[in-house]
Amino acid sequence: MKKVLSILALSVCSIMSAQAAVVVIGAPGAADISASDAKKLFLGKGSKSAVVYELNEGNATRSEFHSSVTGKSDSQLKAFWSKQVFTGKGNPPATVSNAAAMKSAVASNPNAIGYIDEADVDASVRVILKP
Amino acid sequence: MKFNLKALPLAISVAMLPAYVAAEETSDEKIAKLEQQVQSLQKSQTESLTERFRFNGFISAAYVSSDNSAGYNGATTSADFSEDSKMGFQGTFNISNQTTAVMQLMMRGSNDWEVEAEWAYLAHSFDNGVKIRGGKLRVPLFMYSDYLDVGYAQPFARPPSEVYSQVPFSSYTGGDIAYDYELEDSTLTIQAFGGESDVNDEDEGLDLELSNVMGINASWTDLTWTFRAVYGQTELDGSVGAGTVVVDKETAAFTGLGGSYDDGNWIAVAEWTTVEIDGVLADSESAYLTLGYRINEFTPYATVAYLKTTDEDERSSIPPLAYAFDEERMAYSLGLRWDAIENVAVKFDVTYATDFGDTHGGLSNNNFNPLTGKFMYDDSMVYTVKFDAVF
Repeated sequence: MKKVLSILALSVCSIMSAQAAVVVIGAPGAADISASDAKKLFLGKGSKSAVVYELNEGNATRSEFHSSVTGKSDSQLKAFWSKQVFTGKGNPPATVSNAAAMKSAVASNPNAIGYIDEADVDASVRVILKP
Repeated sequence: MKFNLKALPLAISVAMLPAYVAAEETSDEKIAKLEQQVQSLQKSQTESLTERFRFNGFISAAYVSSDNSAGYNGATTSADFSEDSKMGFQGTFNISNQTTAVMQLMMRGSNDWEVEAEWAYLAHSFDNGVKIRGGKLRVPLFMYSDYLDVGYAQPFARPPSEVYSQVPFSSYTGGDIAYDYELEDSTLTIQAFGGESDVNDEDEGLDLELSNVMGINASWTDLTWTFRAVYGQTELDGSVGAGTVVVDKETAAFTGLGGSYDDGNWIAVAEWTTVEIDGVLADSESAYLTLGYRINEFTPYATVAYLKTTDEDERSSIPPLAYAFDEERMAYSLGLRWDAIENVAVKFDVTYATDFGDTHGGLSNNNFNPLTGKFMYDDSMVYTVKFDAVF
């Protein structure tokens, strides 16, 4: 019984660790950024030269990213951007449909920043923040 | 496994020729980087018209009714679908990376769906962070001034009228200049504006020319807290009370303080404003506090607001003027915002206005009865159901 329990506990642990977190990525030569810089960039503030990419609305990784980095739910983010758009202050970042598209978009521009599930990270991009 | 077999010899050769490979990699990297830069340059050059042009819109459909005909928030005892219903379309054209043209057309049910340009301006951002705009712009007096009509971007069914109806105009023709100071974890924005406007509201009996509209505001935000201070003034010329009171070059001054907090769960918004006008027109002071708490897609909120004139003593010797201009009101709202589906919020709101003192409380149909020596209504309840969408 004890054995069964420990196996159960172990498998729960491995499931939990297998649930990889979202990471912020840049081009291979990009430098690390702080969590507050990431928050600013994904809310349209900060460096004007940065090219920010988002996953499409409704994507689970997108929701996870925003709950940990900008602290906004899907509808709050939508309300935030509608405020920016209708006051002429800015437009939401360009969107890509999946992790592969995100990686190729980010890899091809040294000023680009995006996010993907940690499990999708490969050599084409660099992890610049683990929120 | 196949991959590993392939990678193995490569790994060995990498390990064997570290210096050579490192040099090779850096020049390869450089070439790759240059290629990327050329690509992104080409991309930005061939950026199509559709990428430079953006089209957005918003729609609000509201049901409003009241328990009496006092006219609070434009409501009557019969169901009204046009008072708070509106539609807006906005086109944004990026002429260059630094210059943008914006046009927003609005249609309001309360204005017989007449098409008006609320925003129509050219904006230019300089490299040093200064942004100038010219054209038709929103008067930035209140926290929600810039997106007054975009219900979706607001927590409540409507910004409290105790504060927001103290200024009868919401846009002006002129220009502004703004500068963003990027602080470590926050942004401070200073904005100065100037221009002219006019008010022609037959329902309220207002016919005013507003010249030398000018002001300055400062706002600071770290994206959780926001604080704001504003001062504005204008010269008024024309008449109020459907021509009964002539206004000849009187100066009106506005001051406002505002703050908001939004940590993702709790929302708090508060504003305090004063209006001071030379001559018989009323000076007033008003404020509100809204608190809300998000529970998934539901955000219940409560608002307390007040409004009072601050210069009654100037009119106390002339009763008709006192009846016309003195105002006093408290308002309590309970509401719920429901983020029903993507891009659509449904709001339910009950607002109770009371404590008018010996005044009409600012309600347009609350007439003085000389026989009883009192006003007809001493309170009013307004019910609102509103759909706010953006696209």
